[in-house]
Amino acid sequence: MSKVVQVQNITKTYGKKGEKQYQALKGVSFDVERGEFVGIMGASGSGKTTLLNILSTLDQPTTGNVYINGRDITGLNKNQMADFRGQEIGFIFQDFNLLENLTNRENIALPLSLQNVKASEINPKVDKIAKRLGIDHILNKYPAEISGGQKQRVAAARALVHEPAILYGDEPTGALDSKSATELLETMKGLNEKDRVSILMVTHDPYSASYASRILFIKDGKIGKEIKKDGKSREEFYQEIIAELGRR
Amino acid sequence: MLWKLSLTGIKSRFKDYLVLFSGLTFASAIFYMFMTLATNPAFLKGSLSIAFQITQIVFGFGIALLSIITFVYIVYANSFLLSMRQKDYGMYMMLGARTSKIGRLIFTETLVVGLLATLLGTVLGVALTQGVSSILISQLGLQIHKFVGFYLPALLWTIAFFAILFFLAAFWNRHKLVKSNIINLLHEDQKPVKLHRNKLWKFIEALLGIALLGTGYWAMMHAVKLGTKTIPIAFFTIVFGSYFTFDSFFTAIIDLLRKNLAFKYRKLHSFTLGQLKFRLSDYTRILSTVSLLFALALGAITVGLNFNNMTEQAMESTYYDVVLYNHNKKVDNQLKKVSVKSTTNLEYKIIMEGKGKERQRILYIPESQIENNKIMYQHYSRKNDVSHYDTRRITLNDFKNKKSNVAAEGEYQLVSLTPYKDAQVKVVPQVQYNRIKATVNKIELLRVNDFRSNFNNIEKLQKLSVNQMISSPNATKDGINVNLSNSKSAQYRLVSSMTSGFEFMGFFLGLAFLAMLASTLMFKVLSGANSDKPRYQMLWKIGTRKSLLKSSIAKEIGILFALPAALGVVDVLFGLQLFKSILGMNTYDKLWIPFTIFGVLYVIYYFLTVVLYQHIVLQKED
Repeated sequence: MSKVVQVQNITKTYGKKGEKQYQALKGVSFDVERGEFVGIMGASGSGKTTLLNILSTLDQPTTGNVYINGRDITGLNKNQMADFRGQEIGFIFQDFNLLENLTNRENIALPLSLQNVKASEINPKVDKIAKRLGIDHILNKYPAEISGGQKQRVAAARALVHEPAILYGDEPTGALDSKSATELLETMKGLNEKDRVSILMVTHDPYSASYASRILFIKDGKIGKEIKKDGKSREEFYQEIIAELGRR
Repeated sequence: MLWKLSLTGIKSRFKDYLVLFSGLTFASAIFYMFMTLATNPAFLKGSLSIAFQITQIVFGFGIALLSIITFVYIVYANSFLLSMRQKDYGMYMMLGARTSKIGRLIFTETLVVGLLATLLGTVLGVALTQGVSSILISQLGLQIHKFVGFYLPALLWTIAFFAILFFLAAFWNRHKLVKSNIINLLHEDQKPVKLHRNKLWKFIEALLGIALLGTGYWAMMHAVKLGTKTIPIAFFTIVFGSYFTFDSFFTAIIDLLRKNLAFKYRKLHSFTLGQLKFRLSDYTRILSTVSLLFALALGAITVGLNFNNMTEQAMESTYYDVVLYNHNKKVDNQLKKVSVKSTTNLEYKIIMEGKGKERQRILYIPESQIENNKIMYQHYSRKNDVSHYDTRRITLNDFKNKKSNVAAEGEYQLVSLTPYKDAQVKVVPQVQYNRIKATVNKIELLRVNDFRSNFNNIEKLQKLSVNQMISSPNATKDGINVNLSNSKSAQYRLVSSMTSGFEFMGFFLGLAFLAMLASTLMFKVLSGANSDKPRYQMLWKIGTRKSLLKSSIAKEIGILFALPAALGVVDVLFGLQLFKSILGMNTYDKLWIPFTIFGVLYVIYYFLTVVLYQHIVLQKED
């Protein structure tokens, strides 16, 4: 199996030299295999947002290297970073981040237009992913006209339409009710298992995390423990996560 | 404590406040300038004694318009202030601050910001009035004297007007904050806009809009026929026509573009179109207002500059620049200071003939003079509502039929060249002329190279020559009837003193309107910037290059600026018909000058808006 994400000993320090400095990440290393579903758990202030920002090229590490799909993303300039995000990464955010002045179809098509995909190829691709996520009947509506669960599916469709190397989820179930949350997680699991989509999900919710195949616990800027599902049922894995969280 | 928090809030958004504050300052400065011009008796008496009444009407109209624009402007500037602050205040309320206290806070903040800006603005206004008026006066060669920037009544009016406006704005802000839910204040930007409208109504609206605009334009083109009805008809139809056009026509174009997939799915086009679609429904009123103001401002500048053409016309009405009657030392010395292009001589004899009541002064001119000396004059006619002069030569043929119009005009032109305006002209054969016992008189008709640039010397030369005639001891007895007012110099001075005033006013009015309308549009656009911020951040996160975001912003704002400008230009092109028929001047001449001046300033406002918007919306990358 090849590695889709390689993180090598990254640190992130805020504040200028000589002034008061704060180290958010203190040497983090891990890999994500292609087709893996990895969860990252940590309390607020543990450094998980900083880590996700660096992994998604929104921020740069102070030291260390990050390889995504074999490419070192720490040496890229601003335009290269923007293009890289547009091509290799898909995002699902907690608050959906859909553009309410575009229809759902236009929202999903956005990453393709940004990559200069031919107009005639765009609609078939949008239709395909929308069908896969069960939102093909609401494509011509505006985000304000659909439910929260549907919005997150539209966001997922937008994140996947350009077939990125990896899908990042930043608390994707945070704004959903439990039914919609479960539906979304089942969908993500399906995408991971059937469509071989690599997923990296940041969350502090043990229920969401139990859908992952491996979980990294981050604490005070370092990776603490790592636990694997390894054939356990989701319920058993959930109990294990709860136990691990209770230990700290 | 809350006061302290509120001040910190201002500090953290200092740059945005600076924009708002300078906008308000500028508005009050312009208002003051205009009030000074409109009410300052020194300005009116100094230059516009003849057209005093017209001027007052025009200025009164100008003040009314400017007040309305200022009002609209304050409304949008105020909504920009509120959009910056509502999140902060919502947060204070969430933290438990009492509504009444927050109400007092926003009330005071609005009033203090407004009044400080007004005070600073009036000070700036005094300096600006002084500076701008002296620049305009010297640049345009205007004949305005004794103009002082400070005028107390205007100052008081300005302060009173703005104080009332800000008081109202403060009440409005307080009302808005106190009445709305905390949740809405915190999440104002996430409220969706409904966009479902009847398509048939849109279609009718589009037709109605174009029909109304057409009617308005037609009315302005037929102003002579419609008389006083023209302005109300044009005003009504164009106001509503613009509104309907913006509400339907432009949204229809955007919808059409959205249907074109190849266009929509390129780069950020779909996003820009989406923004515009939502914007247009929200912007209909302001865009139609701006287009009208744009037309008024551009029209004012164009017509103002055209008064300059009127002075040209005044110069065209007379062929010879200077008429020299007799020479003396003073005249000869002055003549050296003028660059003469050509000199034409005219010889004549003058005697009294007839008896009793019939006794009259007769001016004899030999046929040879007419034949050989090529005496020219400017013939006046009116074609297609435009006054027109063409140069003609007096020939012997003109006098063949003594009762014809041509003969009458020829005689009139000849006698008005001489100092005997009351005499009757007789053109006679040389033999007959020689028999008349009277002294031979000569006049010299000069054409010069530098009439406008050397005007003062030319005027002095004409004055000296006229004075010499009048001051001769037998002037009255000899029937010498000449004064400076008949000369080209005097006409030029008269017309230019009148037109300078109009030109100055048109220019000033135009610039004031332009500044107001462009800043109104600017604040309307900027007050939406805060709610657009998350959209641009999201686009950036999913991999949009910053340069692409910038160009999308530039395009979007560019269209919002271009639409009212386009309609405004069309309004002006038709509106000028009005002046063409009323004032009889060809207002389409040299149109590019006012259009260029106006365009450059408008484009500067556009770029300013784009830069400020980008500054608010886009995150800094380090």
